[in-house]
Amino acid sequence: MPFSVCSIGILHFTGVKLKQAKEWEPKLLGFLCRWCSYAGADLAGTSRKKYPASIRIIKVPCSGRVDPLFILKALQMGFDGVLVSGCHPGDCHYQTGNYRARRRIAITKKFLEYAGIEPERIQASWVSASEAVKFTGVVTEVTKGLERVGANKLFTDERQGDGTATAQ
Amino acid sequence: MEQRLRSEVKALLEQGKIDRVIGFEPGSLKFTTTPLITSDGGDVDHLVINPFIVNNLSVYLTGTSGRVGIVAKGCDSRSIVSLIQDNKVLRENVVIIGIPCSGVIDLTKVERLAGKDRDELDDIVRQGDKITVTVGGERKEFPASEVLFDNCLGCEFPTPREYDILLDEPVTPTPDKAISEQKLDSLREMPPEQRWQFWKEEFSRCIRCYACRNVCPACFCERCFVEESEPQWVLPVPRWQDNLIFQVIRSIHVAGRCTDCGECERACPVNIPLRSLTREMCNLAEELFNYKVGIDKEAPPLFVAYELEEAEDLIR
Repeated sequence: MPFSVCSIGILHFTGVKLKQAKEWEPKLLGFLCRWCSYAGADLAGTSRKKYPASIRIIKVPCSGRVDPLFILKALQMGFDGVLVSGCHPGDCHYQTGNYRARRRIAITKKFLEYAGIEPERIQASWVSASEAVKFTGVVTEVTKGLERVGANKLFTDERQGDGTATAQ
Repeated sequence: MEQRLRSEVKALLEQGKIDRVIGFEPGSLKFTTTPLITSDGGDVDHLVINPFIVNNLSVYLTGTSGRVGIVAKGCDSRSIVSLIQDNKVLRENVVIIGIPCSGVIDLTKVERLAGKDRDELDDIVRQGDKITVTVGGERKEFPASEVLFDNCLGCEFPTPREYDILLDEPVTPTPDKAISEQKLDSLREMPPEQRWQFWKEEFSRCIRCYACRNVCPACFCERCFVEESEPQWVLPVPRWQDNLIFQVIRSIHVAGRCTDCGECERACPVNIPLRSLTREMCNLAEELFNYKVGIDKEAPPLFVAYELEEAEDLIR
């Protein structure tokens, strides 16, 4: 059995090496606002636009929903980068959600940069529901940036083994 | 100043203007003070003001009922303003007894300069910009800038801006950012990987006692995210990864609330330079959003306020 569940419900992997991809590819976690960027990504799909398969998308009700903790947790879980995408300023479905997201993301990005996390790993964009082309462009650029900075080894620890769960 | 404090507090208690007072009394160890919370007029004579009143007493404000009188230095009064901004404290329920503060003494620095343990020191007296330390009958003089806490040396608001009673004449601020941010500057000069390595080493020592959180007036969440179990954001085990996430998120949570009072760093039993994180947060709030903490009690908190155009260069 590749894993077991202990009495307190934590998943333990028992010595099984997770499948290693032949060639490393960045894994990007996207938090997309359901009113704009998520629809933009949808449009990119339905209009058959090509963009890297590096992104895994989580739909959020508003970019203002994204807690800095989500960003850090994603990095700890082994994602190479995080993209938060919401409506253009002035277009928020809830009037002010993206303005607040902007302050939070700006502080988080700058602060994590000070702590030693490469700024490429924390990205934000404004993508409207009609901007499929912008969405593909953002994902492509962010992925390229992540390829430059390389795999996320921030939370791995040579002394304690791999401190990260592997993002799938 | 001390006499005036006692008489003012006595009068406030007698007139029923406050139900209790939060102040400092002499600690059980030499050169220390300990918080005193009392409603008894007899205890008022224990109140002291000296260069060792390090604690930020506003941390007790959220847990104290009734009308409260509180002794506040410059940074403490800004913490109180920030609590008022967050609707945690009602302005009419506090009587702020302001102390113009010219900095508190870092005993570790004194020990290092005098070359003696604090128990072996006979006396430490402050007169203006000079600190006289008496060891075994011998007097040594040091400039105040060498023995005050780093955050005091960079203090921009030594005199409380929000007060009901001010016990003395305002102090002219003489912030020296270079000395106060020495540690931060050396971190900024490092490449990012080395900085991450630095914090990794520091947080390997953390025992997750949460003293930094408990001593912080800005950390007023009733349930801290580290204690959430559904979902469990961080493990309760003190692994450096989780320790680092805890502290980084804590710094983000106190952004716009942290007044750089330095309590977290003082409370830390394993001497993690926490101020190097929180101070940077104060700087970022100022650089990016021109937000100074605890200045205006009517202003919305940092993460509630917004401008139509700001920080756009960070977003694609």
